[in-house]
Amino acid sequence: MASFLRTWIGTLVVLALLVVGLNLLVDPYDVFGTPRLPHISLLKPGPKNHALLAKTYQIARAHPVTVLIGESSTHIGLDATDPAWPDAVKPIYNYGIPGAYSTASSLATMREALASGNVRNVVVALDFPDFLAPDPSGPGPVEDERRFHLLHDGSANPNRSLQVAEDMALSLVTMAALTDSLTTVVRQNAHSVLNLAPDGSSNEADFVNEARTDGMHDLFAQKEAFEAQRAITLAQVMADWKGPLPCLDVVASIIDLAHAHDVRLTLLITSHHVDTLEIYRRAGLWPRVEQFKVELAELVGAKDHGVTLWDFLDYSVYSTEPVPPAGDRHTQTQWFWEPTHFKKALGHIMIDRIAGASSPDFGVVLTPENVRARNLQVRRQRLARDPRLSDNLRPADFAQ
Amino acid sequence: MLFNSYPFLFGFLPVVLVGFYVLGAQRREWALAWLTAASLFFYAWWRPINVLLIAPSILINYGLARALERTRETQPAQARAILIVGIVFNLCFLGYFKYLNFFESSLNDAFGAGFVLTQLILPLGISFITFQKIAFLVDVQGGRVDKFSLADYGLFVLFFPQLIAGPIVHYREMMPQFRAAPCRYDPENVAVGLTLFFFGLAKKLLLADPLSTLVAPLYKQAAAGTPQSATEAWIAALGFTLQIYFDFSGYTDMALGLARFFGIKLPLNFNSPLKATNIVDFWLRWHVSLTRFLTAYIYNPLTLTLTRRRMAQGKPIFGGRNTSIGAFLTLLAMPTVLTMFVSGMWHGAGYTYILWGLLHGIYLCINHAWRLVRPRIWSNARVYNRRAAPFGFVLTFISVVAAMVLFRAPTASAAVVLWKGMVGVYGVTLPQAVFARLGSIAGFLASIGVRPAWTSGSILMAATIRIAVLLAIALLMPNTLQMLAAFEPALGVKPGKTSSRLERLLTWRPSRGWAVGLACVALAGILSLGELSEFLYWQF
Repeated sequence: MASFLRTWIGTLVVLALLVVGLNLLVDPYDVFGTPRLPHISLLKPGPKNHALLAKTYQIARAHPVTVLIGESSTHIGLDATDPAWPDAVKPIYNYGIPGAYSTASSLATMREALASGNVRNVVVALDFPDFLAPDPSGPGPVEDERRFHLLHDGSANPNRSLQVAEDMALSLVTMAALTDSLTTVVRQNAHSVLNLAPDGSSNEADFVNEARTDGMHDLFAQKEAFEAQRAITLAQVMADWKGPLPCLDVVASIIDLAHAHDVRLTLLITSHHVDTLEIYRRAGLWPRVEQFKVELAELVGAKDHGVTLWDFLDYSVYSTEPVPPAGDRHTQTQWFWEPTHFKKALGHIMIDRIAGASSPDFGVVLTPENVRARNLQVRRQRLARDPRLSDNLRPADFAQ
Repeated sequence: MLFNSYPFLFGFLPVVLVGFYVLGAQRREWALAWLTAASLFFYAWWRPINVLLIAPSILINYGLARALERTRETQPAQARAILIVGIVFNLCFLGYFKYLNFFESSLNDAFGAGFVLTQLILPLGISFITFQKIAFLVDVQGGRVDKFSLADYGLFVLFFPQLIAGPIVHYREMMPQFRAAPCRYDPENVAVGLTLFFFGLAKKLLLADPLSTLVAPLYKQAAAGTPQSATEAWIAALGFTLQIYFDFSGYTDMALGLARFFGIKLPLNFNSPLKATNIVDFWLRWHVSLTRFLTAYIYNPLTLTLTRRRMAQGKPIFGGRNTSIGAFLTLLAMPTVLTMFVSGMWHGAGYTYILWGLLHGIYLCINHAWRLVRPRIWSNARVYNRRAAPFGFVLTFISVVAAMVLFRAPTASAAVVLWKGMVGVYGVTLPQAVFARLGSIAGFLASIGVRPAWTSGSILMAATIRIAVLLAIALLMPNTLQMLAAFEPALGVKPGKTSSRLERLLTWRPSRGWAVGLACVALAGILSLGELSEFLYWQF
């Protein structure tokens, strides 16, 4: 028995050291900043489900001048290395958090980004459905705030050191970290691998793979089923809502925070595919969408802090691109992966516009003076678009 | 403190073990006192106020037991009264903390009574501790406990490996072990204890916990009234059955292993219940110590009383094949359903638990009735057992899985939604992505009513594979008790006849290969500690 116990403890210690060594070398969540090694850790698929963990440590090392804030559409669609970015705003860090679904998260991540002190420009992407209902997380602390330098009330986080130690431990001695390290190594030479770059940008490998296996139609249909359910819920929540839309106070806080840090703030109402717009219109929420733009423009105007508000949410040539029919797994869309996620190609056009390129057809800087005219223009766009699109919605039973 | 936590594994346990062995080398009494103190600390870790709640109850029970000991031979009537007071006190203690809000809310629902519900602090493991204390009083009154001191009684109630979630132990099976335990480092006990503990940890963290994220959304949707297709309903039912199976099995292994570090063998509590070929067999394998308690202290006294009453009235009693329907209903069905009602109530203060208990009571009655009727239809018992076993296994399995839906569902109506889904009321769906890959089979499936749905194909595939693997482990592999039978892993468990090659291969021995294998299992468990989760049975 004594020999059994000696072998057991010896093996356990050796294996544990090997696991720690492997996790440190591969650094699957890019927490330690271990140099990326070819064939071992050049690509980082591990942060897929740990984006906030990975990005909070990445941004501390990146020392960006410009930070992109938002959700998954920002994470995937806005490239920090896009050639359209002017040199003056580089280096850029993409702090978009997939799955955030919360305006309060944008405020919290922006506060964390500004804590580094180097940031001069902030671009905040606003997903319109988030503003059509009260923030589910409420005004209190957002998830994972515990690893930020500052808490939601602006005070220093007294427990950050403890959380950092826990993050380090979880990145070294957990089964999830070991599995993700092994997956990282194994997938280095795979055909299309998800990668979180050191600048926070993600490639589009997941969508590429899904589009290849399921076809674009299925990608759209699956997301539309989700958005239809979400729109119905939002319509119920907002049925008796009076007064200004919820969550705009978060945008006001974002503007105040930017002003307090003397950084240039650009707000971006991002583009959605026409299918999303039609889902929300059919759910009776289009007046809320217009209200959102009006109140946002008036808020920016009233603050008068030099904030630019871009509106890309319309029935443009990009958002109205047709979706391939069911069963067609070969035809690819050009601008959207599915109705709520634009491709980097469209992200490039949006970046190009906010960087100064002229384009009469796409993107308008909203002001209190032009916002109502803009709403009318979008209505006209909808009426003028191809009428066949109105019957192209999935799921078919949404209208019921 | 959770067994599956860093503070327990790398703080509490090593300190307690070292202290126990060092003190035990000096004096046994010191080691046992240290163990009692450590158990109190373990109990207080979660909420220190727990100790303030449980300590007076222990002292009162000890006083009652002393009074019983003094009076049981000389003043039997007084002893009986003391016993009743003790049982009522313990049930009131349990009832106040666990059931008061349930009864008040039930009265509010039924009669609009207007009770204001208060947030009560439920002492951990109160149901287990209460049953153990009642059993002790009954055993003292019955003369089955020879001698005891406050230190003995305190250790019996508080012994931390079984304190929170069992097994429910008897004083007469524990104290002789404590009195005989060497209280010193024993390599065999440590090796067997480590094996049991880390097998249990791996079952809990690697097999049971990942199912939680799979089934929770399905039960939540059902509670919201969202219809669940047969695919989702069966994943919900099988997923939870396997989750609680490996959770409870894992906990029991860990409790056995921890006790073994101190040289103590806890009684058998979990013995591959999903392999049962009938529902009576299931209850002889699932939570064995609870079945033992309920049988000894509720079912048997009730049956005995009713039998005597019928005999006094000149009515027929239970008599094998010639049992009358009246005798069956009075002497078997009624006590069985009542006992299982108590079992349901014991598991939780909620209608779903009560209904779960009643459903199992009905299952047991049907099983017993079939045992009475079967010889008239099929006289050759040996041939019957051989031929009917597979059918009995499938029927038992489906019955248990269906009942587990009630155990997990937040409301009875949610369980009904899932049951309707399981029998196909809401149709059968497959994710569109899976459907699209089935080629010509998709056409056939569509012709028999299977519909595509916009659900995740990858989640369905992962769920199917996980459930299949876990079912294979639960149904085909020998359990921990069988693997370690040569070393008596639980009290009274001895080696059986190893019938298959797999069983022989997996028979534990203190070899280098097993040491390396166990180190891998232990490391996998330790690495999974980061995601803390509670044992399902701790809430009872």
